[in-house]
Amino acid sequence: MAGIYLHIPFCVRKCAYCDFVSFAEGSVPQSYVDALLTELELVARGGSYPAAFDTVFFGGGTPSLLSGEQMQQIMRGLKERFDIRESAEISMESNPGTTTPEKLAAYRAAGINRLSIGLQSTHDVLLKSVGRIHTFEQFLSTLQSARKACFTNINVDLMHGLPNQTVDQYLDSIKTVCDLGVQHISAYSLILEEHTPLFDCVERGEVKPPDEDLVADMQDAGIDLLEQRGYHRYEISNFAQDGYVCRHNLNYWHNGEYLGFGIAAHGVVRDRKWTRYANASTLDEYMRLLSRGKRPLAETIRLAPRDEMFECVMLGFRLIRGIDRATFLARFGLDIVEAYAYAFEQLRKRGWLIEAEDRVALNRGGLDFQNEALGFFM
Amino acid sequence: MAYPNELIRNFSIIAHIDHGKSTLADRMIEQTDTVAMRDMSEQLLDSMDIERERGITIKSSAVRMFYTHTDGKRYMFNLIDTPGHVDFNYEVSRALAACEGAVLVVDATQGIEAQTLANVYLAVDNGLEVVPVINKIDLPSAEPERTAQEIEDVIGIEAHNAPKISAKSGLNVNQVLAAVVNTVPPPVGDPDAPLTALVFDCFYDNYKGALTYVRVFDGTVKEGVRIRSMATGHEFEVTEVGVFTPAPMTVDELTAGEVGYIAASIKSVAETKVGDTITSADRPAKKPLPGYKQANPMVFCGIYPADGAQYGDLRDALDKLRLNDASLSYEQETSNALGYGFRCGFLGLLHMEIVQERLEREFDLDLVTTAPSVIYKIRLTSGEEEMIDNPSNLPPVTEIEQLEEPVVNASIMTPSEYVGSLMELCQERRGIFMDMNYIEEARVRLHYVLPLNEIIYDFFDQLKSRSRGYASFDYELKGYEKSDLVKLDFLLNGDVCDALSTIVHRDRAYAKGRAVAEKLCEVIPRQQFEIPVQAAIGGKIIARETVRAVRKDVLAKCYGGDITRKKKLLEKQKEGKKRMRQVGTVSLPSDAFMSVLRIN
Repeated sequence: MAGIYLHIPFCVRKCAYCDFVSFAEGSVPQSYVDALLTELELVARGGSYPAAFDTVFFGGGTPSLLSGEQMQQIMRGLKERFDIRESAEISMESNPGTTTPEKLAAYRAAGINRLSIGLQSTHDVLLKSVGRIHTFEQFLSTLQSARKACFTNINVDLMHGLPNQTVDQYLDSIKTVCDLGVQHISAYSLILEEHTPLFDCVERGEVKPPDEDLVADMQDAGIDLLEQRGYHRYEISNFAQDGYVCRHNLNYWHNGEYLGFGIAAHGVVRDRKWTRYANASTLDEYMRLLSRGKRPLAETIRLAPRDEMFECVMLGFRLIRGIDRATFLARFGLDIVEAYAYAFEQLRKRGWLIEAEDRVALNRGGLDFQNEALGFFM
Repeated sequence: MAYPNELIRNFSIIAHIDHGKSTLADRMIEQTDTVAMRDMSEQLLDSMDIERERGITIKSSAVRMFYTHTDGKRYMFNLIDTPGHVDFNYEVSRALAACEGAVLVVDATQGIEAQTLANVYLAVDNGLEVVPVINKIDLPSAEPERTAQEIEDVIGIEAHNAPKISAKSGLNVNQVLAAVVNTVPPPVGDPDAPLTALVFDCFYDNYKGALTYVRVFDGTVKEGVRIRSMATGHEFEVTEVGVFTPAPMTVDELTAGEVGYIAASIKSVAETKVGDTITSADRPAKKPLPGYKQANPMVFCGIYPADGAQYGDLRDALDKLRLNDASLSYEQETSNALGYGFRCGFLGLLHMEIVQERLEREFDLDLVTTAPSVIYKIRLTSGEEEMIDNPSNLPPVTEIEQLEEPVVNASIMTPSEYVGSLMELCQERRGIFMDMNYIEEARVRLHYVLPLNEIIYDFFDQLKSRSRGYASFDYELKGYEKSDLVKLDFLLNGDVCDALSTIVHRDRAYAKGRAVAEKLCEVIPRQQFEIPVQAAIGGKIIARETVRAVRKDVLAKCYGGDITRKKKLLEKQKEGKKRMRQVGTVSLPSDAFMSVLRIN
């Protein structure tokens, strides 16, 4: 398995909680699309990468700021330079405030076969309070257009722990979205990140941060409700109907290879050693390097096997199924339980572990304290 | 060879903190051409970083200067610097004992302050001639005449002809130099009598070992002579004698009346303590110079490495500090909460702060310190008496017949408008009002007897904030008094945390117990289980608070771009946990131990 990630770092407006790299624009500058194509070309010619790709993911920012034409260009560019499998899952994120039926149809025609819609909440008051640019109504019309454009694999993002959000409001959002019959739901806790407007508001005491216990209540009740409605929790914050897990993200959690394109995109390839890289995170630097015919890299880290192994644990334990012992053995020549005897002893002692013949996983208690659990592996 | 005694003047400068003592010393050094101007950096005598930053003098030192007087004669001045803080009272008194005179600096904008008086009394006790100097006359708010009047009224020395100077600009500093010649008597002593030299300071030099700063009263000391410490009986061979200019400079000999240093391969300053008399081993003096006493620590606290693995480093650092600071005492102790560390004794609060700061700064250590304590005297029911300096060592209530605590005579000088709020402060701190007198119309001197344990933490800060910085404070140990004291313990998840125990007056135990328990709830991070925080007196719970359990400790999302960042986050979290202290089942951050103090 291998994936390709493309970063579209533009948004109409940045949300109050967002600390991703993105710039406020009403559309994606054509120069950026051209730069992406140049980068694809550079990597295809000179990089070390897997032979074929099973997934492509357009993330942001707001990829739905791309025009249909721009999406066509990028997809064509991709397919010309890389072997994207017939069966590939090709996802894009979208913001309900930026879609039109025409654009959605064009995306679908360009080959996008999975659409992720950033809804966050069905309550307009809450949407407004965190600086979302859309209403619930707009989301409904995006969803309708998407279906008309023949998207049959749709994800909706929901958030809990928004300022002033109640448990009932959150569960109400889940119910509504389930009733709409989407295939996949990502349900995140809001994280207060430094250097975001929301963080500053909380620091200044203008916004009361959500109570930790309340957030935990929301999360727990949300998980139960989603499971009840046939959305199976397969990762800490991700839920899917049977057959609709996100293969692109699954590849991350299996610690598989992926290429990253665009500003601040990351990638990891086996270039003798397990090698992570990150692109430049400013528009200027990204463009400057490309214009000189260089890959826009800001950082390349070659990891020791020990660190690669820890990554597999850190990522694999996010999955409800956990880590496949045979795969781990094949990759490192070590049985995971033997390699981390002390850590597993600690997990057993705390009753956090599911130990089967073929896999090891954290149970629900262990997942709740995953950071603590991972500490034993470091 | 020896400089004629009638041309020598040995003197100190005494002043309340910030009245300009060190600045005046700098100007005198400049105006006597002792140090070339280009070598001057501000406050030359203070050689330690902390001293410079805080603008105070911790270790005294001595400088030899030559001054050509209006009579055309060249006088040798030995300026002995003194620490300006009450904690170092004994060291000040020894430095003064080495002199015949003292230059008293009074700030013309502030007038006489508590330490001015304390220092003048010390000088007079040591039989010194006092040369009053009125400083800071360049400031718009200066009132030199009024200050002179105050000196005459309060201290009873003539001051209207006192030099009125600006140490900052150097204005009239020459008058001070002249007044030293005219007022301070020359030393008297017999260079042929058996050696007696008073140790007024010690300094540890990495190459020469402990250097003792001495004032030679009788006899002569030079290289090769065997000397004996009259306090310890230790003998040493002198390897070098010299003076400070202010850089050390070797001289052939130091003779009666002179001031300088002796190097004698003395390994630690503890071997020749301040106040000791040095004599010749071959021809010893009959009796030592008067006034030697052991400086006893009054304030104690536990010092622990934040990272238990640094215990050895902390021990080495304390050993090194002690080379230079004989009044620092420490012994190993163990705490169930903090592991291995040291119980350290200090002369006073400032001394404690300075040591902590030096340990952190000069030795790059991360420390956890426990609440400071004083020494309590306990009479047991068995009739025995015990002294304890660590609250957690207090015997069970049933074995205690009576508890006594140290009390001090405290003198506070303040503009009269703050008297009310300062009296209230003293009352809150269990002070007993003794008397009050007016120094002048708008300035008052308050006299209180206060328990030492009430002033060892934030009393001084409170005093300053309630008087807008105008009040000054000085204290001396009065003795021990019986008191209704109890030990306040704190339990975390049912286990007593020894490092949090304190001794308090019974009347205040409830309020304090509640306040500390609440504070602890704020500083203890939520853990995987609920943590009851309880305050207890003698096993009886008087307050209970709860730290709620944390329910989730997990990253909500982690995708491709996040992996490196999230890994760093986990590492940071793990690092943070490592710095926590484990008390039974509960993890405590280092600052929890100081939080007991930050309660009003």
